[in-house]
Amino acid sequence: MITIDWNHLFLVAFAALVGSAAVVITFSLGIRLLVNADSIKPKAASGNPKALRSEAVNRAGAYVMFALSFAAVIYGVLLIIPGVIPSIK
Amino acid sequence: MDTLTIVIMVVALALFFDFTNGFHDTANAMATPIATGALKPRTAVAIASVMNLIGAFLSTAVATMISVSMINDAATLKPEIIFAGLTGAILWNLATWFLGLPSSSSHALFGGLIGSVLAAVGLGGVNVTAIIEKILIPALFAPVIAGLAAWLATRLAYAITARSSEDDLSTGRSRFKVGQIFSSSLVALSHGTNDAQKTMGVITLVLVAGGIQKDGGHVELWVVTAAALAIALGTFSGGWRIIKTMGKGLSEVKPAQGLAAEVATAATILASSKLGFALSTTQVASGSIIGSGLGRKGGQVRWGKAGHVVLGWIFTLPAAAIVGAISAALVGTGPVGIVVDAIVTVGVIVAIFQIARRNAVTHKHVASELEEASEVVLTKKQRKEAEKAAAKAAKAGKGKK
Repeated sequence: MITIDWNHLFLVAFAALVGSAAVVITFSLGIRLLVNADSIKPKAASGNPKALRSEAVNRAGAYVMFALSFAAVIYGVLLIIPGVIPSIK
Repeated sequence: MDTLTIVIMVVALALFFDFTNGFHDTANAMATPIATGALKPRTAVAIASVMNLIGAFLSTAVATMISVSMINDAATLKPEIIFAGLTGAILWNLATWFLGLPSSSSHALFGGLIGSVLAAVGLGGVNVTAIIEKILIPALFAPVIAGLAAWLATRLAYAITARSSEDDLSTGRSRFKVGQIFSSSLVALSHGTNDAQKTMGVITLVLVAGGIQKDGGHVELWVVTAAALAIALGTFSGGWRIIKTMGKGLSEVKPAQGLAAEVATAATILASSKLGFALSTTQVASGSIIGSGLGRKGGQVRWGKAGHVVLGWIFTLPAAAIVGAISAALVGTGPVGIVVDAIVTVGVIVAIFQIARRNAVTHKHVASELEEASEVVLTKKQRKEAEKAAAKAAKAGKGKK
């Protein structure tokens, strides 16, 4: 009798859904924050201290998000190389 | 014919198969970024081939699935059987390409091998469970999984970057182009992890069958290197094709959507490679393009188109199996059969290449399967245009009466 191991298929589905969602959410947030920063820029350029801070926060946040997105990709690639991340057989 | 000669022929043919695979699949990774303008064609092709090369070195799970799990007792097989399977796969592949039928080179390869082993040894020669679990089920589900992931990712990307209506600032969605440089590279990398390994698996299989290697549990470094180089070279030479035809079929794909589709494709293929699922990377990429098209507002499926795409997916494996079985029967007749099989295969390869060169750009098969898949979903704009055209036609019809 043929018994099929469905767990592997669920694992692929899980990895695909969660992995792509994680990468796309972080990257999209980065873009959103970057656009925010750009829209505050004219105000900040005029010397408004509040706007200046807000622009910096948004821009920094954007770069953090891009970094997280990139890190998620690297983590995903490392997962498939045997022995690098030992949690999954 | 002595064993070594056949082993060498199989290795050469397998590497050739690998090369055509890269050649054919450059578009899967690089069509969307070129279409959206994220990458210049030349850069895209260069990146794709380097990423393919790297990807091939990352894992051997798919290769050992072929050399150990799929075929029972490879050591008892004659190398001629592998030769027959491989030539069957190549013949089927070239025939579908010539006829313009959607096909999958991966499924052609499995079909050819399975068919030839079945014909030569019988049902005991193949591991049915492994074939169902690692090839057939992934073949059915992986494109759907990729499609779902791409749909979700597209939704998320659009929702996160959506602007409230009162400010008329741009959404910044064109900035997704920069991300596409990475996401398309990732697709090329994942392509290397899955497709190059199929060649490694076949070569390992014939090394075991020929008694050169004890068991198929590991892949020799030279096999990995040769397969990696062949696919990278194929990807690089496949570039001219997409450079010349780009931007036609995929012009409706937007950067955010392209990124979502590519990330979903890469995630699905990478996870599958890890678990030894040998899948058709083209089908996964097609699933993602369809899913991401539906993720955009107002996307609509054209079921007729979708049916045509799916039909090709279903028929490849059994059809290639029949061709593989026929070549196995031919090869089984002895040295003369082997020579005939070899001559037919090489002859068809040469003929097809001549035809391809003559009709280089105008040939209808130049368009990638990905473009075909992208046509499955109508965008809002396309739908409105179609409605307008229909209304105009109706008006004109009335006017005549």
